[in-house]
Amino acid sequence: MSLIHLEDVKKSYTSIGMTTEVLKGVTLKISEGEYVAIIGPSGAGKSTLMSIMGCLGRPTSGSYYLDGELVDQMNDKQLSGVRNEKIGFVFQAFHLLAGVSAFDNVYLPLVYCRKTPADARDRVREILAKVGLSERMNHSPGKLSGGEQQRVTIARALVNQPKIVLADEPTGNLDSITGKEIMAIFDRLNAEGNTIILITHDPEVAARAHRTIRIKDGLIESDEKNENFPEFGSGAEGTRA
Amino acid sequence: MRIFRNLVQALRGLGRNKANVFLMTLGVAVGIASLTVIVAIGEGTRAKVLDRIAGFGFGPESFSIYAGSGRLFFRKAQMPTNMSFQDVEDVASLPTVRHVMPRQRKRLRAVYRKNSTSTRIYGVTPLWEIIRAWPIVDGKFFDDRDMDRKSKVAVLGATPVKNLFPPGEDPLGKSVRMGNVFFKVVGLLEEKGLTESGYDPDNRVLIPISTSVARLTHEAHLHSIKVQAMSPEVVDETMEATRQILRRNHNLSPITSDDFRFVTPTGIMEWITEQKQAMNRMLILISTVSLLVGGIVIMNIMLVSIRERIHEIGVRRCFGARRSDITQQFLFESVFVSMLGGIVGTIFGVVVSLVLKRTDFIPAQITWEPFVLAALFSGAVGLVFGIQPARKAANWSPEETIR
Repeated sequence: MSLIHLEDVKKSYTSIGMTTEVLKGVTLKISEGEYVAIIGPSGAGKSTLMSIMGCLGRPTSGSYYLDGELVDQMNDKQLSGVRNEKIGFVFQAFHLLAGVSAFDNVYLPLVYCRKTPADARDRVREILAKVGLSERMNHSPGKLSGGEQQRVTIARALVNQPKIVLADEPTGNLDSITGKEIMAIFDRLNAEGNTIILITHDPEVAARAHRTIRIKDGLIESDEKNENFPEFGSGAEGTRA
Repeated sequence: MRIFRNLVQALRGLGRNKANVFLMTLGVAVGIASLTVIVAIGEGTRAKVLDRIAGFGFGPESFSIYAGSGRLFFRKAQMPTNMSFQDVEDVASLPTVRHVMPRQRKRLRAVYRKNSTSTRIYGVTPLWEIIRAWPIVDGKFFDDRDMDRKSKVAVLGATPVKNLFPPGEDPLGKSVRMGNVFFKVVGLLEEKGLTESGYDPDNRVLIPISTSVARLTHEAHLHSIKVQAMSPEVVDETMEATRQILRRNHNLSPITSDDFRFVTPTGIMEWITEQKQAMNRMLILISTVSLLVGGIVIMNIMLVSIRERIHEIGVRRCFGARRSDITQQFLFESVFVSMLGGIVGTIFGVVVSLVLKRTDFIPAQITWEPFVLAALFSGAVGLVFGIQPARKAANWSPEETIR
């Protein structure tokens, strides 16, 4: 069973009486453990696709199954629960809360789940250690470098052990060396079994993924396994290290 | 508990937006402070009236009859001339009456050597001492013999004593001129001190009414008559009988209204109630306006605040906050800030009230009501004016808020 299953998903936005169709019928399946890059020029519908996959917005038509559940019929409470438990977002602009320590930023998803505060704190410390920020967890985003901020957002995305990590241009605001460091973290996370979906327009970033989906004008132009990692292409069980 | 976690998030959010907290708190605090001060002034004014009334020296078995029709208090002095000693005599003959005391009143300058002071001269009978139960600290009250002889004797209140005599000089036996007449000081009244309203009960001089008629006012009509009935139960029937006597004596036709007014303990209580209701209406109006202003300040700042924090709201929604979580968080913020304003406002209001009370500028009295009112109203203001911004924040789609 696929973790993500989009079936003929369309999305249009209406503003000032004009309707723009951004996604024109996308069908897509992603399995658990995959490392997928979604690539395409700006305006192609990448971000819209991500917001639908991330349960931030509903498709205008078509259906979306996440982990076997039909998402587009869910109410706000259920959708919020899905976002909380199954999805971890990493944003280009970090979207950290200003004036709030790295620790509390990472804690944020746990505010809205059932973990006890003691467990939650342990979990936050553990994940911050994993991204190498144990020493700086009391610093607010303003006092952290770009790379450090992005590591905080990765920690925040992972803290509630989501099924999918959705990263929107995770290296877009970083210099190339830091960007490589961040990408190394994603590589490692995937190697540990996390499903990762990268949205990018940078072919170099996309090249690290095992599968590349190209989008153009709201449609999938191509969907291919990355030649360098043929054995991971389908994300099939048992082939992972 | 999810709601508790949202409360924690709200408090932390406030901690990061201290300028907003300050402004919103100030908005409510001003409203609540004015409410507190108004209530204190209201209570103080009521106390002043009550204390003024206590100054009449009323027991439940007493009432007064004032010459002239019209309003009870604060009326322009038009001095009617139809209340006479005949009225006093006739009322005194009623079987239910214990004491009747006529009274004349005149405002005059009293002069001793080079000092002079404006004071109220009352012509009364020796019964005054019994009816008012006001102790004499030095000398004695004049007696019936002084009445018969129309003696030029006076009992002085503490204020004319202070104004006329240098410290250390004994006023007893000294001659004080009032009008063209020299009076010998025979007694001194105990000092009562200013009332809450600033009325000075000590600024009075008492002389025999016979002397007053013969030598000072040269008029035979009375300012008022004080009647003490046998018991509180017979007050009503005594008043009715008195009314008949006075109307007959004054030759009033059945269609003419009374040319005198009764002042009774019940009448005064009714008057107070009336005044208090008017005061309460005023108070409610002013408080509503001031709290409305506080509420609008909160709503405006919250609306600006959620705009500034649209990004935070989006992030929270991305990581699992429900609409209800966002609503709760922002409602907690506005209610908390509003109640904080309530506390600050109450403290400020109490301080202002105490200053007013201390300086005798305006009567003010601190009671428990403002505290309860402040707590209730400030919480309600936060809730009512916070709900719209909180709803608005919650209804933004997460997709749009993180763009």
